Amino acid sequence: MPTSRKRATLPAQAGIGLRHPHLPAFLAAPQPVAWLEVHSENYLAPGGPRLAALERLRSDYPLSCHGVGLSLGSAEGLDAAHLARLRGLYDRLEPAAISEHLAWSTAPDGTFLADLLPLPYTDELLTIVAANIERAQEALGRRLLVENPSTYLRFQQTDWDEAAFLSELVRRTDCGLLLDVNNLYVSAANHGGDPEAALNALPLAAVGEIHIAGHARVATSWGELLIDDHSSPVAEPVWALLTTTLRLTGPRPVLVEWDTQIPELPVLLAEAERARICLREITNAPG
Amino acid sequence: MRLAEWQTRMRDTLLGPGGFDPALLARLADPPDQRERRLSVYRNNVRHALFSVLEAAFPVVRQLIGAECFTATALTFITEHPPQAPVLYAYGSDFADFLSSFRPLTELPWLADVARLEWARNEVLFAAESAALTPDQLATVPPEELGGLCIGVRPTTHWLASDWPIHAIWAAHQPDGPPLETVDLHQAESVMIWRRDGVVRQELLTAGESALLTAFTAGRPLAEVAEAGLEQDPALDFSAALARWLNESVLEEPIMDISLPHACGSSP
Repeated sequence: MPTSRKRATLPAQAGIGLRHPHLPAFLAAPQPVAWLEVHSENYLAPGGPRLAALERLRSDYPLSCHGVGLSLGSAEGLDAAHLARLRGLYDRLEPAAISEHLAWSTAPDGTFLADLLPLPYTDELLTIVAANIERAQEALGRRLLVENPSTYLRFQQTDWDEAAFLSELVRRTDCGLLLDVNNLYVSAANHGGDPEAALNALPLAAVGEIHIAGHARVATSWGELLIDDHSSPVAEPVWALLTTTLRLTGPRPVLVEWDTQIPELPVLLAEAERARICLREITNAPG
Repeated sequence: MRLAEWQTRMRDTLLGPGGFDPALLARLADPPDQRERRLSVYRNNVRHALFSVLEAAFPVVRQLIGAECFTATALTFITEHPPQAPVLYAYGSDFADFLSSFRPLTELPWLADVARLEWARNEVLFAAESAALTPDQLATVPPEELGGLCIGVRPTTHWLASDWPIHAIWAAHQPDGPPLETVDLHQAESVMIWRRDGVVRQELLTAGESALLTAFTAGRPLAEVAEAGLEQDPALDFSAALARWLNESVLEEPIMDISLPHACGSSP
């Protein structure tokens, strides 16, 4: 564990992803949500009203910083300048948790592709990602939570399935898992798998945070493809999978993400309220 | 295929305008008739993410050339100038230069300068805070030391000069703005863009005021700044311009303690 300083932890309650359109409402009055998460890359500018708003809100809500640009799956290793930017932001905000994705977004020539791109789960990749996670945890001075991705394609040459790959990463690097229940559902649907089987194979003891979000269903020539677009309410099967997950993990911080076609804040808060009820149900359940 | 080669091929195929790289398609385990459709999800995501950044940064350029033309232009830019760092607030810094040499748009000679204005607004929005020089602080400087005082321009203040009426064109595309038909397209304009209380503002500059900002930025003492402005425009009201800019938090507090006597440049 590279961290030594004692830091606040995220509460095992419901939070929401804080997006720019909702900043004024949060600045105007306290909102009924236990914690907030932001995309780290949205706050890397040296100044401006958004960063100022976040620094104000930081004292009122536990904060999680969710990176979308470090590219843990990059073959050429991590971008030292980006690690330094993130370290600066995290030292400034002192988040209770930081996370990244099991994905890549920076090509070997340095081009940033602004998406979470898929990875072939090979032995070569395992060595690369494990080294990248260790370097990131060292450079950022904090433990990383690594998120399972939503994927739309599969590779012929793989040595591991996703759950086993994540388990091995946790074992080698002592990183935590950010379990995205919607991603689990979307990937299983897109590849004809069983999300509950995938869930049971994950290193659930390492789960430090859970994500839920909406997805879209797109018709194709062979059937439906599920797109993880965070543009709608959480789907019913994902709520059911969240409850199943929480029964296995026990209470964990649960975050509702909504990133495109962002609704009025009350719509998002209602989703968080439903997540709160899921959490309450599993803590009240016997056994 | 090693991971690095695969990622290079993915980069090229996701950003490229043509079909998908057959070597990539051949590596997928999905049925052959599904592979292109599945890969296209990622291509759409990449383009949509980068396009959204440009669309948010250049709303007036988009109105000027129309949504369809803007989309085609932006996608060409994305292919030729993809971001080189995961810092998307800075993506689009060279969009104006691209527009100035993009052949389909050369009949709109003012378009690139409007894009420069929009980019300046973006830079001002995200610029670092610094201590603003206030009217009260300046009032504490003894009159005999004022002329030697060096005052900087804050990082949250930018200005640019154009051969075209960029401020008027921009204003015509704001809600409740005057109609574009009223704009004299042969009028050169200089514009100051600055941030106060978290809000980006802009206004036209006279030639004399432009000369003042240039002299402030060059680090010249206040007396020389005033001279530069009056040389450019003998009718310039220097005190009024200075007072207005102090109230608008345009100027920067000198690094040295303002209560101490000091002058610019090297000591004799």
